[in-house]
Amino acid sequence: MNFKNETRKIGCTKAAALTIILMTAAVSGCLSSESEDDNSLVIVTYDVYALSDDMISTFENRTGIEVEMVKLDDSGSILSYLIQQKGTGANDLAIGLDNTYLQTAIDFDLLSESKTDIQGISSEAYSPYEGKLAIPFDMGHICLNYDSSIVDGVNLSVPTSLWNLTEEEWKGKVAIPSPMSSSPGRGFMLATLDYFEYTTDSYNGFDTWWSSMRDNDVIITPGWSEAYEIHYTGGYGEYMPGYIGDAHITVSYCHSPGVEAWYNGNWTKSASLNLDRASFFQVEYASVVQGGNAENADLFIEYLLSQEVNALMPTQNMMYSVLEGQDLPEEGGYRHHSIVPDQNANITSMAISLNIDAWLDRWNSAMTEGE
Amino acid sequence: MNDLGSGTYRLIIGTRTLAIAAFLLLIASPIALAVFRLIGVAGANPRAWIETLDGNYMSAGAIEFTFLQSIISSFATISLGLPVAWMLGRYEWRMQSMIRAVLTVPFVMPSIIAAMGILTLTGDSALGIRSNEGTWFWTLIIAHAWFNMSLVIRFCEPILATLDPSMEEQLRLLPAGRTISGRIRHLWLPVLIPPLSASFCMSFVFSFTSFALVRWITIRDNTLESVMAISSPSAGIEGYMAFTSEIVLASSLIQFAVLSISLWLASRIQRELQRQYPMAPARVARGHFDYGWVFMAPALLFSIAPIVSVAIGSVRVRTVESGRAADTWSLDGWELARDGSFSMVPLSDAMANSILYAIISLAISMPLGYCIASAIHSLERTNRRMSEALDFATMAPFAFSAAMIGLGVTLGVTKLDPTAFSQFWPLPALAHVMLTTPFAIRIMLTGLRSIDREYDEAARVLGMGPLARLTRVRIPLMKGPITVAAIFCLAMSLGEFGASFIVATNSDWATLPLLADSWRGMPMNPLAEAASNAVATALAVMAILLFAVAERARSNERGGMF
Repeated sequence: MNFKNETRKIGCTKAAALTIILMTAAVSGCLSSESEDDNSLVIVTYDVYALSDDMISTFENRTGIEVEMVKLDDSGSILSYLIQQKGTGANDLAIGLDNTYLQTAIDFDLLSESKTDIQGISSEAYSPYEGKLAIPFDMGHICLNYDSSIVDGVNLSVPTSLWNLTEEEWKGKVAIPSPMSSSPGRGFMLATLDYFEYTTDSYNGFDTWWSSMRDNDVIITPGWSEAYEIHYTGGYGEYMPGYIGDAHITVSYCHSPGVEAWYNGNWTKSASLNLDRASFFQVEYASVVQGGNAENADLFIEYLLSQEVNALMPTQNMMYSVLEGQDLPEEGGYRHHSIVPDQNANITSMAISLNIDAWLDRWNSAMTEGE
Repeated sequence: MNDLGSGTYRLIIGTRTLAIAAFLLLIASPIALAVFRLIGVAGANPRAWIETLDGNYMSAGAIEFTFLQSIISSFATISLGLPVAWMLGRYEWRMQSMIRAVLTVPFVMPSIIAAMGILTLTGDSALGIRSNEGTWFWTLIIAHAWFNMSLVIRFCEPILATLDPSMEEQLRLLPAGRTISGRIRHLWLPVLIPPLSASFCMSFVFSFTSFALVRWITIRDNTLESVMAISSPSAGIEGYMAFTSEIVLASSLIQFAVLSISLWLASRIQRELQRQYPMAPARVARGHFDYGWVFMAPALLFSIAPIVSVAIGSVRVRTVESGRAADTWSLDGWELARDGSFSMVPLSDAMANSILYAIISLAISMPLGYCIASAIHSLERTNRRMSEALDFATMAPFAFSAAMIGLGVTLGVTKLDPTAFSQFWPLPALAHVMLTTPFAIRIMLTGLRSIDREYDEAARVLGMGPLARLTRVRIPLMKGPITVAAIFCLAMSLGEFGASFIVATNSDWATLPLLADSWRGMPMNPLAEAASNAVATALAVMAILLFAVAERARSNERGGMF
C-alpha cells in the first residue's frame, strides 16, 4: 500500500482544510492585538530626534497615556505604511510626513482633522499647507552646501548658477541624494523644477541640467547620510569611518553649517549656497491618522507644539521651530552660519501630489537615457 | 505496514499530511498572496517589469552587478578555499578539529557581522582602504569569499582527507600518473570537480542573494536582493509608486529562475558526490607537511580577522578635538548599546527578540521538518515519484531569497490582516520559519537516509510499534542530525537580516542584526560605530557558542554544507 492511497483513505483534504483554517486563523484576526485601550497612543514616525525618551516619558507621566512608537525609515516610508494600514484603526498619529508627501496622504484619505487650536505657529510654517489635516512641527530649507575651504574662488569658483555645476571643474565633485529614496533629495529635485521654470510649457532645462550633471559624473547616493558623511568634504563626515571626501558640494539644509558650527565651537568650513529658487522649503507635520484615537493624538500634538518642546527643535531635532518668534540659537555660531534663502522654489503641495510620479519619471529618464 | 494498527498508521499518515499542508501553507501562501498583490498593482507583464528594473535609476545595473559579483565571488571562494581544504584534508595537524572549526566559523556568522567586521577591517584604523571607492567591489568579493570559503572546506575536505592513498600510489606507477599534472588530470580533478562545482553553485547562490554586505560595502551598487529590500516599503500599493512593484516582481522573477537553476545544479552535483571512492581512515590518508603552518596560519587569521575586528571596534571610539580625529579605547559603545536611545532599543531587548524568534522558529521548523523529512524518506520506498515531487517541493523555498520571503510576509500576511504588520510581535518569526524549515528538512532527510534500515526492521521484528521505534530507535540514531538541524535553525534565525529588515517595521521588534545595522546607520553620533560593533560582537558570541555545540554533534564523514 502506498502513501498516496493511504493519504486518500484518511481524507487528506480534511487534514489540509483543517490546517488551512488553523493557520489562517493564526495569521488573521487572532494574531493582531489591536489595542482598544483609550490610554494608548500609537505614533508612526521615523527617527525624529525630537521624540526623545525624556520627551515621551514626560508626556506619558502628565497624561497617563501610554505611547507606542512605530519607527520607520523616513517620510516616504511613513506614507507607504499609512497606505498599507489604511482602515485598520491601528495607528493614531503620524509624525514626520513632509510637504512633499503630505498631499498624497491627503489624497489617499489617510488623515483626519486635528481639533486642536494651537496658537502661535508662524505663518511661514503654514505656507505650504494651512488646513487642519496636518499641523507643522518643524521646518527647514533644503539647499546646496559647499566646502568653503575648497570652493574659495581660487581652487573652485562659488557657483552662481546651477549650470556652473555642469562645468568641467565640478566633474565628479557634486553629491546629491536620490529623489527616489531621500526626502532632501526629493526636495532638491523639486527645487530644480522651479529653477528651470516648470510652469512654462516646456521645461527642458530640468532634463538638460540633470542629464548634464549625469555626464559630469554627479554622485547620486541612496540617502542624505551617504552624500553628507561619505562624500562631502565640508562636514563632520571627514571624521567618520568610511569617509571618501570626493564632493565639495552636496544637498543638505541651509542651516546645516550652523549645526556643524554649534557642534564645533563656532567653527565650520561648510557654507550654504544662496541661489534663488534652488532651495526648497520643507515643513514636517504631525497628523491625526484616520480611524485612530484622535483625542490622544491631539493631546500629543499640543504637547509637541508647546513652547517647552517645540522651542528646542533647533538643538533637539536640528530643525527650525515652527513657533512664532523662535529662531535658531546664537550659541556656537548656530544662527550666524545658517542662512535663510532669499527665494525658495515655489512649488505647491497640490502640484507635487499631481505630478510627482511624472517628475520622478522625467528625472529617471534624464539620469538613465539623457534628455 | 500491515503489521501496524490502523489507528497508529492513520495517526502517522495524518501527522505527515498535516505537516506537508502546513509547510505549503506557511511557505507558499504568503509568497502567492504577495505575488498576486504585486501583479494587481504592476500588471502581469514580465517584460515590462524587467524593462522598469533595468530602466529605473534606483535599480539600473542591478542585474549586471548581481551576476558579475556572484560569479567573481564564487571563483574567489574556490581560489581561496581549495588550497585551505587541501592543506586541511591532506595533512596532519595538531588540533585538527579546532582548526577546522575556526576555518568554517565564518559560514555560521550572520552576514551583518561579516559586513561590520569587513568595514572595520578596511577602515582607516586598520587597512585604510575604505576611503578609495575603487576598492569597494573587491572588498565585497573578498567578503563573500570569506563568508563562503567554509563551503569549499565542507565539501572538499572530507573527500581529500579520506581518499585511499593507494589510489595515488598506484597512479604514480602508471605512465599517465608520473607527472603532477597527470595525477591532477586523472585523479584529483575527477575526485574534486563534483565538490568544487557544488561549492561554486552554493557560493554563487549566497553571493547572488547578498544583502547586508552589499548594503554596507558597495553602497551605490545594488544586487537584485538589495533593490528588492529598498523598494519594499512602497511595493504592492495600488495607485502609488507602481514602478516599485514592477521592480520587485522583476527582481523576484530573475532571482527565482537563477536560484532554481543553481540549486538544481548543486543538487545534481551533490548526488555525484555520493559516488564512492576507496576510502581510508583520515589518519592513514593524511601526510605530514613541515612548513604547513606557513600556509595555514594566514588562512586562520583570515577566518577570524573580521570577527576579531568587530570586537576591537566595539571598544574603539573616535573622538574629534580641534578638528583632529583620534581613536580612544573605552566601553562607551557597549554602554550606549546596553542603554539604547530614543530611537534604538537596548541591547537586551534586541537579544530577547532574537532569542525568542529563534525559539519560535525552532519549535515550528523542527517538528515540521522532521515530519516532512520522514514522509519523503518513507515514500522513497513506496512511491518514488511522489517522494521526488515532495523532495522538489521542499527544495523550492531555497530559490526564494530572504528579501522575497520578507516581502511574502509583509505583502501576503498583511493582505489578510494589515494590523499584523505593526502589532503582531511574532511576525518576523514567520519569515524565519519560512527560511529555516527547508534547511531542517534537508538536514534531517540526510540523517534519515543514513540510518541503516536494519535497525528499524529489527525493532519491528521485536514487536516495537511505530511510536516506540520512533522514540527508541530513530530519534536516538538521529541525535546528531537533529542537533545540527536545531542549531542551524537557531543560528539562522539569530543572524537573519534580509527578511527581518523588511518585516520588522516596528522598532520594538528589532533583532540583534537589525540593531547593529541601525546603529551603524545613525548619523552624527561618534559612538554609533562602536555601539554597532558591540551589538555585532554579542551576536558573534552567540553564533560561536551555537557553532561549537553543532560541531560536537556533526559527523564529518560526509561532505556537504552542514
